[in-house]
Amino acid sequence: MTAIPDTPAAVDLRDVRKIYGTGPDPVAALDGVNLRIDPGEFVAITGTSGSGKSTLMHLVGCLDTPTSGHVSVAGEDISTAGSDRLARLRNRSIGFVFQAFNLLPRLDVQRNIELPLVYAGVSAAERSRRAAAAAAKVNLTDRLTHRPSELSGGQCQRVAVARALVNDPALILADEPTGNLDSANGADVLRLLASLHAAGRTIVLVTHDPAVAARAARIVELRDGRIIKDAKT
Amino acid sequence: MSWLSGLLIGLQEIREHKFRSFLTMLGVILGVASLLAMFALTAGIAAGWRSTMQQIGGLERVGINDKQVSLEFADLAALSPGRTLADAEALRGIPHLVSHIAPEMQVGATISAPDGATVSARVTGTWPDNFTVSQHEMAAGRFLTDLDLERGARVVILGDAKVAELWPDEYGTDADFLGRTITINGRPFAVAGILARYEREQDRRRRQALARGDKPPAGQAMGGRGPVGSGRRDMFSWKNESVIVPLSTLYHEFRSGQKDTPPLAMAKLDQLNFRVRDLSRFDETLREVQNLLKGTRRGVDDYDFDTREDWFERMETSLRSTQLSGGLIAGISLLVGGIGIANIMLASIAQRVRELGVRLAVGARRRDVFLQILAESTVIGIIGGLLGLGAGVLLLALLERLAPLESPPVIEPSAILISVGFASAVGVLSGLYPAWRASRLDPIAALRYE
Ligand SMILES: Nc1ncnc2c1ncn2[C@@H]1O[C@H](COP(=O)(O)OP(=O)(O)OP(=O)(O)O)[C@@H](O)[C@H]1O
Ligand SMILES: [Mg+2]
Repeated sequence: MTAIPDTPAAVDLRDVRKIYGTGPDPVAALDGVNLRIDPGEFVAITGTSGSGKSTLMHLVGCLDTPTSGHVSVAGEDISTAGSDRLARLRNRSIGFVFQAFNLLPRLDVQRNIELPLVYAGVSAAERSRRAAAAAAKVNLTDRLTHRPSELSGGQCQRVAVARALVNDPALILADEPTGNLDSANGADVLRLLASLHAAGRTIVLVTHDPAVAARAARIVELRDGRIIKDAKT
Repeated sequence: MSWLSGLLIGLQEIREHKFRSFLTMLGVILGVASLLAMFALTAGIAAGWRSTMQQIGGLERVGINDKQVSLEFADLAALSPGRTLADAEALRGIPHLVSHIAPEMQVGATISAPDGATVSARVTGTWPDNFTVSQHEMAAGRFLTDLDLERGARVVILGDAKVAELWPDEYGTDADFLGRTITINGRPFAVAGILARYEREQDRRRRQALARGDKPPAGQAMGGRGPVGSGRRDMFSWKNESVIVPLSTLYHEFRSGQKDTPPLAMAKLDQLNFRVRDLSRFDETLREVQNLLKGTRRGVDDYDFDTREDWFERMETSLRSTQLSGGLIAGISLLVGGIGIANIMLASIAQRVRELGVRLAVGARRRDVFLQILAESTVIGIIGGLLGLGAGVLLLALLERLAPLESPPVIEPSAILISVGFASAVGVLSGLYPAWRASRLDPIAALRYE
């Protein structure tokens, strides 16, 4: 990968440490991680359970800040950012896809997809237009008025992908997006992510499944909070 | 995110949990209902009192009464001629303070209508100003005039109840009583005017309903009260039973001629009332009147002022204590309602930790979450307040049906605003803590929450 020096990295972690607990035996969930992800990359983060994958995701996703070290997302150093700034970054620059879908059960599909736009202050008309466009990308145009409880797991995860897309973020983070799906639906979601990558988005995919990780162009492996392997496939 | 979308989310939450929300609102509903009822009841009582007050002369009416002279000045008391027409004449000296003067002399008399009945009555001789001082209203004809007074004319003004007694058969028909002659202790007088019928507002309404042939409201006995205000004596009977003649006429026809009657100017009055021109100069007026009376009473302190002020004050105090106790009940209900809202909001947050986590993850700021919860509790408060208004109106209607009130309740717009305002305030206040709790959620923990 030839990094163009003056383009800001999509993600840049410098000597990042995340320590949980302050008691006699604190846990270093991340212990000196350096990682640079360029715009347009498709990276898989793998590692055994407890190796720190989700912790890394949370930092990259601006849900948390590191105990020490520097985290930059989309050119912004968020190591010491306050909660409002983090919220704004999550809202504008990042789309999340979770293992457990995390849709709001009482909102219909359209309103679930619109959710990030609500907090971006987008008008109702524009919201529904963009929600419809995002739904079309994940093939759910005919389910806009349904509630999550009326959808299959695969459809739910596609709604989640649409929600992650709707704000047109540079970075899409997916934490075990196929974990709750059968293989067919899982493959569907992975195809979706691959197509988003093809369309130029940066994708970071967390998984402990090597087969899933193999879909990415670059695999980063963690163990005990450290990167033990960083390779292109 | 704006307040508006927060309110919309709040409304949606309430729609999702109609019954739970209703239970939550119950305290607020009761609080607002009792607040509104309390306001309406006290406003009704106040309105009743005010109109009664107006009809008996208003705050501006002041009486001059006799007073026992204190013992140490007892030997001086004989110096004072007491309450005489000279007092009334003296009051004319300060027209900028005293607008109307009504001296009164009274005699018990037998009055009789040749074409009607013979009854006994208390006949009052007075000045034309009495019309304003006693806040009379004419049903027909005119009141006394200066000319009547000057000439000692034999004219009489009758109260509604007296007309009914004199001509029981014709009363209530459209018979014309003006110009008829009645005799007072055997001397003929021409009826020059008939006074309006004085009654409380609710009596008037009841009577008009009866006249229209409506059934009287439940719980109200029909009998007891004839067509006139005869049966019951109320605070207006003295006006309704008026038989009024010019003061000079009364004096010359019925008082003088007996042995050692003083001249008219020194004749004792049975009452002396006057009207203060400007209430804002009330105290100054009383002081000036005192100065004048020093002259006519020769310095003897043998009189008292009878003002409505203490009456008014007593009314205010009693109203305020009613309001206070009603307000206390309403306040407790609202407090309980507020605790209920806070409690339900905390429970609902606990149920929705994950939802809040998702909202945070997609970009909600802490203040958005705070506003969302606050808007929700505010909506509960406002809806509770509106339902409470409805409940309050129903409650008042029910009260009036079951036990008709002396003074019908009056719902003033300000009472509505205050009640709903309180409910909204309770909604906001009770949402503050839950909203703060929700806004402190850690997004990661919230997303993991099961
Ligand atoms: N909030 C927390 N408090 C204390 N320790 C934590 C917390 N979150 C994570 N940890 C610890 O940090 C380490 C890394 O956790 P993390 O969730 O990142 O692992 P993971 O790689 O995502 O594992 P899995 O594949 O099971 O999801 C674990 O040892 C975990 O116990
Ligand atoms: Mg994990």
